[in-house]
Amino acid sequence: MEKTTRQFFFASLHLFEKNLLFLLVFVCLLANCRTETVNPPINLPIREITDDLGRTVKLPETVDRAVSLAPNLTEIVFAVGAGDKLVGRTSYDNFPPEAQKIQTVGDTMNPNIENIIALKPQVVLVSTASQIETFTRQLESQNIAVFVTNPNSLDDIYKSIHQIGEIFGKTEKAREIVEGLSKRVAEVESEINKAKNIKVFLQISKEPLFTIGEDSFLTDLIARTGGVSVTANVATAYPKLSKETAFVLNPDVIILSESEDNLEPNDVFKNSPAVKNGKVFKINADIISRPSPRIVDALEQIARHLQK
Amino acid sequence: MKVQSPKSKIQSLRFGVGFFLLLILTICAAALLGSERLSFFDLNEQQQTILFDIRLPRILLGACVGASLALAGASLQSLLRNPLAEPYLLGVSNGAALGTMLAFVFFTQFEAARPIMAFGGASLATFVVYQMAKSRAGMNVERLVLSGVIVTTFLSSIIVLLTSLLDAAKLRSFTFWLLGDLSQATKSGFYLSFAAVIIGTIILMQCARALNLMMIGERDAFDFGVEIGRVRLTVFAASSLLVGTAVAASGSVGYVGLIVPHLVRLAIGSDNRLVIPFSALAGAIFVVLADTVARTAIAPRELPVGAITALIGAPLFIYLLRKS
Repeated sequence: MEKTTRQFFFASLHLFEKNLLFLLVFVCLLANCRTETVNPPINLPIREITDDLGRTVKLPETVDRAVSLAPNLTEIVFAVGAGDKLVGRTSYDNFPPEAQKIQTVGDTMNPNIENIIALKPQVVLVSTASQIETFTRQLESQNIAVFVTNPNSLDDIYKSIHQIGEIFGKTEKAREIVEGLSKRVAEVESEINKAKNIKVFLQISKEPLFTIGEDSFLTDLIARTGGVSVTANVATAYPKLSKETAFVLNPDVIILSESEDNLEPNDVFKNSPAVKNGKVFKINADIISRPSPRIVDALEQIARHLQK
Repeated sequence: MKVQSPKSKIQSLRFGVGFFLLLILTICAAALLGSERLSFFDLNEQQQTILFDIRLPRILLGACVGASLALAGASLQSLLRNPLAEPYLLGVSNGAALGTMLAFVFFTQFEAARPIMAFGGASLATFVVYQMAKSRAGMNVERLVLSGVIVTTFLSSIIVLLTSLLDAAKLRSFTFWLLGDLSQATKSGFYLSFAAVIIGTIILMQCARALNLMMIGERDAFDFGVEIGRVRLTVFAASSLLVGTAVAASGSVGYVGLIVPHLVRLAIGSDNRLVIPFSALAGAIFVVLADTVARTAIAPRELPVGAITALIGAPLFIYLLRKS
């Protein structure tokens, strides 16, 4: 047995080395093929905007070609009246209906970099996505700016709207939208009884059990509607929660982000006051999960449910 | 491969009792730990529910999954005379995973379809790998492992394709599940896995003597009167059953079937009459420990147990490989 193991080990190691060498040569060849094309800078002079990661993003004076890589950003772009400037979107972007006419460039987690470059955008709008590092470097080498948003609260969502307004030169419209939204929020806040502190559990997925944590803007949203998220102290934005912990949370209200696999509360909530008193509510996942202007619709719905 | 007879029956009995007690001890220790603190001398109703309805079913299911995978690994390694034979590396796990996924997509409401289709997928993958590895000159080690790798990657690409076609919400639960996740443990899931482990152990123990002879060589085993074809079919069916139920319950928990039988052989030699039952016990201990880490390391959040087994398993395997 020992002999065969060792033989196999070395045989595979040898194979691996051979392949590795071949791969290396291939990669070197490829790298040499790539000629350094430096695109001429377009639309000078350049303005600078700081994004949510603290990066300084250089933009041309006017932006008329942009790609959005998140449904909430597409919604904001349309809301500020710059929908006609969008040349690419993700397959998830279904609102407003006009957005669906725009070409797709993959989904939020797997955008197609070639498609994006072919569309010649001046800026790509990103919501904190994975693989952002390599992605950004590739796009910036093509003179395409990458603007990252990462809203953790309602105020951050307002900030995203202002930022996107600024990018497209629609600051006035953005201010109007934010004013309108804050007015609706103020109205909700004036009507509710904040002292109630209703214990709310927001279920993102039933199995495995995912919920919202301290970094989610939904934690802030619940706090503004007279509730308190029972998972407000759990690290990260969307944690997978231990069922034991979920069991002792005893929420008074359960809100389901309504999607195919999340139509009822997890079995651990069977004996919770929420389930016993029939206080389980569904809110359309597209509305509740996107930090866009429509989030205030979600806020109004949550408030209505909590005050019932 | 040398078949070592146990030094004495008493010694192996002592080992058996020791392993069994260790498993009980591990389960008890795991039951003490969790994201919620329980005061064991005075359990209130809520704590009883946590212990008996949430924590223990998960621990016991973990034990069954570990036992299943280690049993499958131990018997496949002897049957194929290959120390690298393992459900995960041979594509059996991926076959079961694909079966479970198809059941999930097409028979969403029908929960019993998952273990059945997982068993089907595992059997099919085993059959294909075996057919690919077989040549006129008999089976050779490199061929078998390569076929395993090919089938594994082929099945993974189908799984990736399927997850890409599913919508985003389902994708999330699948990616977690594919890494091996015990959080969806239920009592009924545990009963099913437990039944599979008992049946699998009984079947494989019947083959243990034949497997011992086959380790020397199929030719010699044949001369000793072993019905090679039947043994092979029985072991394939039993390991598909074990892997199928394990994967349907918890996704792909890797490295258990590889590491555990190796460690067991280091401890007690390579007599399958001992390796098979001891692998079951040791596999159960390994997965229960790994899942305890997964449950408690970043509580109240959770990690997938498959990430922990791979984290421990891969370096351990390299160490064993260099040592041998």
